[in-house]
Amino acid sequence: MKLNKYRKKSPWILHYNAGGCNGCDIEILACLGPKYDIERFGMINSGNPKQADVMLITGPVTKRSRERLVDIYSQMPEPKVVVACGSCTCTGGVFRGMYNCEGGVDQYIPVDVYVPGCGCRPEQIIAGVVEALKKLENKTKEIEKSVRLEVAPVESDNQINRREIAAPINNGGKPSVFG
Amino acid sequence: MNNIVVQILLIALAPILGGLIYGLERKVKARMQRRIGPPLLQPFYDFLKFADKRKMIVHSTHAFLGLLHFVSLWFAVAVLIMGGDFILIIFLHLLSTAVIILAGFSTRSIFSHLGANRSAISVLAYEPVLIIIAISAYMLTGSFDVSALYASEIPVLFKMPLAFIALLLILPVKLKKSPFDVSEAHQEVVGGVELEYSGIFYEAVYTAKWLDYIFVYLLVFMFGGANIWLGLVLVALTFIYINALDNSTARVNYKQMLRFCLWVALPIAFVNLLLTMFGVL
Ligand code: SF4
Repeated sequence: MKLNKYRKKSPWILHYNAGGCNGCDIEILACLGPKYDIERFGMINSGNPKQADVMLITGPVTKRSRERLVDIYSQMPEPKVVVACGSCTCTGGVFRGMYNCEGGVDQYIPVDVYVPGCGCRPEQIIAGVVEALKKLENKTKEIEKSVRLEVAPVESDNQINRREIAAPINNGGKPSVFG
Repeated sequence: MNNIVVQILLIALAPILGGLIYGLERKVKARMQRRIGPPLLQPFYDFLKFADKRKMIVHSTHAFLGLLHFVSLWFAVAVLIMGGDFILIIFLHLLSTAVIILAGFSTRSIFSHLGANRSAISVLAYEPVLIIIAISAYMLTGSFDVSALYASEIPVLFKMPLAFIALLLILPVKLKKSPFDVSEAHQEVVGGVELEYSGIFYEAVYTAKWLDYIFVYLLVFMFGGANIWLGLVLVALTFIYINALDNSTARVNYKQMLRFCLWVALPIAFVNLLLTMFGVL
């Protein structure tokens, strides 16, 4: 029996703030409130990675939060989708180039849907989640296979990558990648 | 509840009925908050979704204890439907709770430990009241069998009104509803003992919650005696009471919960025992 179609009928949400300014978090909570009421679609803010399907992330990934981010992501059982809410989650936004964070969440975990806006509107978040649910429905058992992730240095584009500048202070001149 | 076919049907359909009650409850709760709320069959959608998710188990004993929790609770509900021994029912229910507490302690997650601690405390809060209600029922009918209560001509409600009040006071603890939802407290311990379950093993714990509804509402139904309609009215009123209470109150901490149950609900049940013993009502 194909159970795929039930995935989009009860997507449980996990919400993680990776160092944003709380603007987008409030909009996510507004989605759950009486006005937008996404519980109509069966969504619950479960707060527990082991039972969640959709991961809503806000904020650029700060150095403190990146390990937790990957940790939480890997605790979610497949099939799962990731929705990046807010400009700073997609690209770094207003925080881009700052010493304490990277430009966007997709440098660490795969992102399925990007929701723009600083902060993003609740309607946009709902549209983004609906878009993500289409992806969730089509995920196959392939993704349950475990793969070994390689630690690769982040290639710096034309943003100022202050991580290397800050590195000598932290660990004696060695380039620090991932802690 | 005399017909054996009806009994077997009820036992087999108990999880489904419980799921419907849970769906209705989510709907009613949403309406009380001026929301539209999920569809009535939402718990079953959740159920089917979890059947397909990847199973991440902490260790096999933990997963097994989750299944055992479901099975022993189903046994308790079955004995309650068949009109068996009240004490046996209480102990089967206690066994299922003990199993899930054990599962909570068997992982290394701190939230799971806290949830298990709090579950154990809520058992301490509601169990004495239930046992005193059982003894009152024994004083009333001369047997521990629930079937004697189902068959009583004068509704049990009129014979032991205080026991019913005591039961109403402990129901939120048992169903993990606000204000006494410390053991589940999603904002504090993220669901407590059910935290580490995923996939179909979470499904067992999730479905056990539906069975808990059936268990509780059958206890309420029992107070209607032979009058089925009175029983159903009591169940409906209790349903509204629990949801209104859940929506309108904030969580108290576990000390306040314990104090309330042992200083308010337990004496009420005890007075009821005395009244029944001396045949006042
Ligand atoms: S996108 Fe803007 S509003 Fe949202 S968390 Fe980032 S800085 Fe705040």
